[in-house]
Amino acid sequence: MDDNLFEKLRILSDAAKYDVSCVSSGVERKNNTVGGIGNASAAGICHAWSSDGRCISLLKILLTNDCIYDCKYCLNRVTNPIERATFTPEEVAELTIQFYRRNYIEGLFLSSAVEKSPDYTMENIYRALELLRYKYNFWGYVHVKVIPGANALLIQKTGMLADRVSVNIELPTRESLSILAPQKKVENILKPMSLIHNEISRAIEDKNHFSNAPRFVPGGQSTQMIIGATPDSDKTILNVSQNLYDKFRMKRVFFSAYIPVMSSPNLPAVSTMPPLLREHRLYQADWLMRYYYFNSSELFTEIEPNLDLEFDPKMMYALRNIDRFPIEINKASYEELLRIPGLGVTSAQRIIRERKNAQISYDSLKKMRTVLKRAKYFITVKGKYYGNTKLDPDEIKAEIRMKEIQKQISIFEI
Amino acid sequence: MDYLYDGTFEGLMTCIYYHYKKGKATGIYVISNYQQSIVYQSEIVETDILKAEIVSDAINRLISKEAYVHVYYCYLSNDAEKENLILDFLIFAFKYGRNTMNFYTHEKVLPINEIYKRVAREEHRVLGILRFSEIGGILYAKYSPDNDISILLADHFADRYKHEKFIIYDEKRKKVVVYANNNWEIKENINIDDIEFSIKETMIQKLWKQYFTDLAIKERKNINLQFQFVPSRYRKNMTEFK
Ligand code: SF4
Repeated sequence: MDDNLFEKLRILSDAAKYDVSCVSSGVERKNNTVGGIGNASAAGICHAWSSDGRCISLLKILLTNDCIYDCKYCLNRVTNPIERATFTPEEVAELTIQFYRRNYIEGLFLSSAVEKSPDYTMENIYRALELLRYKYNFWGYVHVKVIPGANALLIQKTGMLADRVSVNIELPTRESLSILAPQKKVENILKPMSLIHNEISRAIEDKNHFSNAPRFVPGGQSTQMIIGATPDSDKTILNVSQNLYDKFRMKRVFFSAYIPVMSSPNLPAVSTMPPLLREHRLYQADWLMRYYYFNSSELFTEIEPNLDLEFDPKMMYALRNIDRFPIEINKASYEELLRIPGLGVTSAQRIIRERKNAQISYDSLKKMRTVLKRAKYFITVKGKYYGNTKLDPDEIKAEIRMKEIQKQISIFEI
Repeated sequence: MDYLYDGTFEGLMTCIYYHYKKGKATGIYVISNYQQSIVYQSEIVETDILKAEIVSDAINRLISKEAYVHVYYCYLSNDAEKENLILDFLIFAFKYGRNTMNFYTHEKVLPINEIYKRVAREEHRVLGILRFSEIGGILYAKYSPDNDISILLADHFADRYKHEKFIIYDEKRKKVVVYANNNWEIKENINIDDIEFSIKETMIQKLWKQYFTDLAIKERKNINLQFQFVPSRYRKNMTEFK
């Protein structure tokens, strides 16, 4: 270890903090506010929180930012004059193991620009992984990016050592991709995805027959899409996600709000704010699809191909389908309870459990720490409706907006 | 009768045993904190492993594993009333048996649930924010948790650092977990002074600090949120805040 490691770490982690393109983490920025399970803790342990309040659990770095490609939306593109740096595989391994031993991190997230060629880069990623596993005997969590276009055998070898791999889909449609990332071919992205999917299925199959069958990315594969660089709608985006979940058994599809880095006729103006709220709403909708038995088609109507930015997707769903409410807390099934805005998995389970002893009252809901702020407009408890409005979308919206304003005023007065 | 015990979990369980087999407990207290009561008589209970086991076993079998874990976590907490909350809970629980934990909000059950959550939350938090340094080949961590959670951390770190040696030092309680060769144990009344770091250790700490600082996106600074996740009382032992 020597002193220019500070310089390299600075350059190659700096790129990783902006969640776009090859550099992204595949880790959500915010805790999901829709439900109880699968917040940061299910993903592992948070080791630190940076001053923007984000959880740090992995060492997130690029192997190199020295790229031969020219993706329009990316800071590392070859035509952009920036500082370049490259870690050796040994440096990546050593940093990881030393941080891990001190309990700074849970593992490594290694991504990379494409240096020299896809194979050259993939080979170095593999080398870092090999050193970690065999030289340092490190069996903590490692997530690596697979470089589209790299040799299949290399991808396979990498998959046998990594816990998770990801190939980025980048953009939801073929047209968008050909405009913004002309060197990336859809086929080169889908091929490794399918290879990884097949290998995973085979490894699972083998495990059923031989207990010592070799592992293959036990944490599954994930991918990522950039949001807001192209005019694609939320409906298009969520339909693509649904397909990726179905077709390749993706563990996760990550969304990443586009941060304008250059002007181009094909990109939003540089002054555009990154669509963080939209990204957040997409995550919430994705969450509903994966854990709350929602189908992407339920969320949209013919005339509304986008999510509501003002209200979270469950609220939006309830307001757009008010005829399915109110739901009686003492009668509803588990699935029905989960459709109530503001009510998560933990509360739903508690209600089911507590109901076995006695009818639930509004008071006992409160004691269970169920958040009723939003739920109360959509439920009855022992037949009684507790919203101070009529069961009408516009009235409920007006009421909630009023509450928000009152809250802000009282904050200012203090 | 007020029962007085030595502060160990087995001691507490022995008191519960006597509550049923000898005479109703009016309260349970640690001997060293006990304030003589004018109303009740008191008796010092000798910790008896066998009697304690009978009670632990009964909790697991007749109530549930979940109840046992809740009681144990509650015992590790810094709650001033914990012994009597546990006593009240167990009296209720032995009556309602397997159904007990469904009374989530009952006045005898709720406090145990809440304290359990508090301790579990601290345990989970500390798994992440405990910081080790390498000193002469040994990994060493110092901390001062609100609750007495060292014993809850031992297995996790023994698994994480299987082939290493480590020491976790609770400076508030003067207690250490020592791990070497696949075994850990807890030792009490230990004092460890601050130790100087090697050049390599210092360099790795600096790399981490730099990484930690660089990672924050300045435009999205949210110090309050950061304090929610890492309250200031934990920070004095964390590399990145030093
Ligand atoms: S391949 Fe494209 S997105 Fe990835 S680092 Fe290079 S320019 Fe950026």
